Amino acid sequence: MALTVSANPRTVDERSAGEKIADKVYWILRAAVIANVVLLFFPGFNPARMTALMNKNLSLFTCAVSYDKIVAQFGTAVRYGLVDLAHFSALRWCSLVIVVSVVISIAGACMSLGNLKLRKLSLVPSFLGAALEIFCFVWMRNIFNSIVAQARTAGKSGFDEVAPVYQGINYLYLALAVIMLICTVAVCALIITKPSEAYFEMKPKYQLFLMMLPVVALAFVFSYLPLFGWRYAFFDYKAGDSLTMEKFVGFKWFGQLFSNAATRRDIVRVLKNTLAMSSLGILTSWVPMVFAIFLAEIKNGPFRRIVQTFTTIPNFISWVLVYAVAYALFYTDGFVNTFLKSMNDAGVYNTNYLMETGHMWLKMLAWGMWKGTGWSAIIYVASISGIDQGLYEAATVDGAGRFAKMWYITIPELIPTFMVLLLMSIANILSNGMDQYLVFTNAANKEMIQVLDLYVYNIGIGDGSIPLSTVVGMSKSIISVILLFGANGISKAVRGESIV
Amino acid sequence: MADISAIRESGGIVEKKTAGDIIFDILNYLFFGLFTFSCIFPFYYIFINTISDPALVTAGKITLIPHGLTLSNYAVMIKLSDFWQSVLITVLRTVLGTALMVFVSSLAGYLVTKSEMWHRQLWYRLLVVTMYFNAGLIPWYLNMASLGLTNNFWAYIIPGIVSPYNIILVKTYIESIPGEIEESAYIDGASYWTIYLKIIWPLCKPILATIAIFGAVGHWNSFQDSLILNADSPALQTLQHRLYIYLNQSSNIGAVLSSGDASNIASSLNTKIIQYTISMVTIIPILCVYPFMQRYFEKGLMLGAVKG
Repeated sequence: MALTVSANPRTVDERSAGEKIADKVYWILRAAVIANVVLLFFPGFNPARMTALMNKNLSLFTCAVSYDKIVAQFGTAVRYGLVDLAHFSALRWCSLVIVVSVVISIAGACMSLGNLKLRKLSLVPSFLGAALEIFCFVWMRNIFNSIVAQARTAGKSGFDEVAPVYQGINYLYLALAVIMLICTVAVCALIITKPSEAYFEMKPKYQLFLMMLPVVALAFVFSYLPLFGWRYAFFDYKAGDSLTMEKFVGFKWFGQLFSNAATRRDIVRVLKNTLAMSSLGILTSWVPMVFAIFLAEIKNGPFRRIVQTFTTIPNFISWVLVYAVAYALFYTDGFVNTFLKSMNDAGVYNTNYLMETGHMWLKMLAWGMWKGTGWSAIIYVASISGIDQGLYEAATVDGAGRFAKMWYITIPELIPTFMVLLLMSIANILSNGMDQYLVFTNAANKEMIQVLDLYVYNIGIGDGSIPLSTVVGMSKSIISVILLFGANGISKAVRGESIV
Repeated sequence: MADISAIRESGGIVEKKTAGDIIFDILNYLFFGLFTFSCIFPFYYIFINTISDPALVTAGKITLIPHGLTLSNYAVMIKLSDFWQSVLITVLRTVLGTALMVFVSSLAGYLVTKSEMWHRQLWYRLLVVTMYFNAGLIPWYLNMASLGLTNNFWAYIIPGIVSPYNIILVKTYIESIPGEIEESAYIDGASYWTIYLKIIWPLCKPILATIAIFGAVGHWNSFQDSLILNADSPALQTLQHRLYIYLNQSSNIGAVLSSGDASNIASSLNTKIIQYTISMVTIIPILCVYPFMQRYFEKGLMLGAVKG
């Protein structure tokens, strides 16, 4: 659809020189707005971090949305009257107003993609946003002065503890706001006298882009922004610290994986678990296919449907519930023990099978297969029902038995699907997910069950060694992407078809 | 005897069963029967324990059939305020999260089919690429923390709104719809919004139902986000998280309960019954939507194997 419906079409050539200059000025304005948005999310560029008491990893956006985080470490300082919470409440509101002003500027920048009439209207939000931000600069300066004054009342030691510091980044915000303001005024001067169209309008390509923008922005914030967290791998960092260049340690943590004996031992053990359990999964990846083939051999329709219905259910319950099932069956007072007891009242049955550590990998595999086989088989069941019946009839005529038909017709038809899934599972060899292993972990089996994902969780969230867990997670991500592309390359070379 | 014991029709050709066939059939039925039983029995066992007399359950007398039928276990559970709280949170996140996800997936899926969008390929690729890499747990957690999404209900909702898989599914589906309907609406002067709401949305209902139902089950089952992001806010913990806590703290579950409004409840309900009853409450909604899900399985399969 390369249609453009316009009530008042004007080609580019009809536009005045002033409008063409305005086009260029708009790009500066939009760039300033984008820069401003980006600044909001980076902790290093937070003008609201006015005292050493505040966590250094707060971005301006965090300050705006969470007052609790601003004052998280103020307990003592408030008790001794070193800080007045009212100032920080004001600081939070000021941060919020900055965020709002940026949002208004974004609205202006978006409207500037429209026709002249819309552009004229966009001057209002552009001006308002910039003006509001400049006002916030002054406001923040005042807040800072009050914080300094309050800290001074407590004498030198108190002042040192609060350590008010005026962030230079404030001037960058001011500069951006001033640039936006100048651009707005310039554009205003250039276009305000021009006669505008009767309707607000925007080119379809920009309309579509603006509708898409929030989606892209969300993807950016939740998928791309975390990549910026990889920097923690190169610093000596503890929760709440700041990332200053003195703490930069280069590849120390990567070296630690190999040089530190304890860490190395852990890594080797965890990798062994991970690879063992993934390999077991890969070695049994034919099971769903055979499941589907044998299921197709069941000619009793209702029975087949019942099998399919009930074997798929475990796929839709969470690993916590699978554990609840395991618990109900195998715990001290679970089914197995009560059943044995009911068989033989004299016996003592109180084994907690969940604490037994033998064959841990196989047990995990079994739970995985219990949960997943029925569901994984569905894709093969669907493929089997799509196979041309004529093939089977011809084979029957030729005297092929049912196994011959499975081997020479069904399996070759299913192999392409199988290969894709196999390659994907090879690419995911390091990612077994942590849910299954987390829920089944206990004091007895934790050595045999800890996989890479769980290890990252344990050392990162549990022990707080953020750099090391980032290093492990980062290496895992990179290796996984390489494996994926490798698998894709193999698939392309062998089957002439890519899998991603 | 074996040669003529069973004759069945297959595509008009009469086949005879051999002894091997019969043995295979018996083993086949046996295997599938047992596997199916293993998928049903645990839920049945948990269920009969929750509807039996608590005293008998505690004594370990309930194995294969329920005794002393009662609903008192459920009645007592309902009185636990933290249980209600987590049910509420889980239902809320499931409904809200799924609704937003479906809306955004359908809109974005529609938008990325429009070649006239400014730099469409770029935005689309940016979305698709996110399926293949992952910054890792810790950077993700720190990012969420810096966005103020820890100990915050919205941590369940906002990150899940944009789902590239579902966007691609909707896009593929829309591409299979003839373009003329949309084009004629456009020529009649309908805006993109109107086309989306009046044409695309109704036409996409089958695929939207698929992603909605799978999305809802995902939300209902989601456990990691509650565990990692909202660990310090008991009021925000989901049902799965609550169940996990109860399963793990079996020894001091009495203490957990008696700290609340439930000091007398703790005595009437033992750990085991609480665990079983919560498990049942957590499974039941899945079992309820399950019959409706089945017809979407084949489309849902694509969820695992879509191509950019």
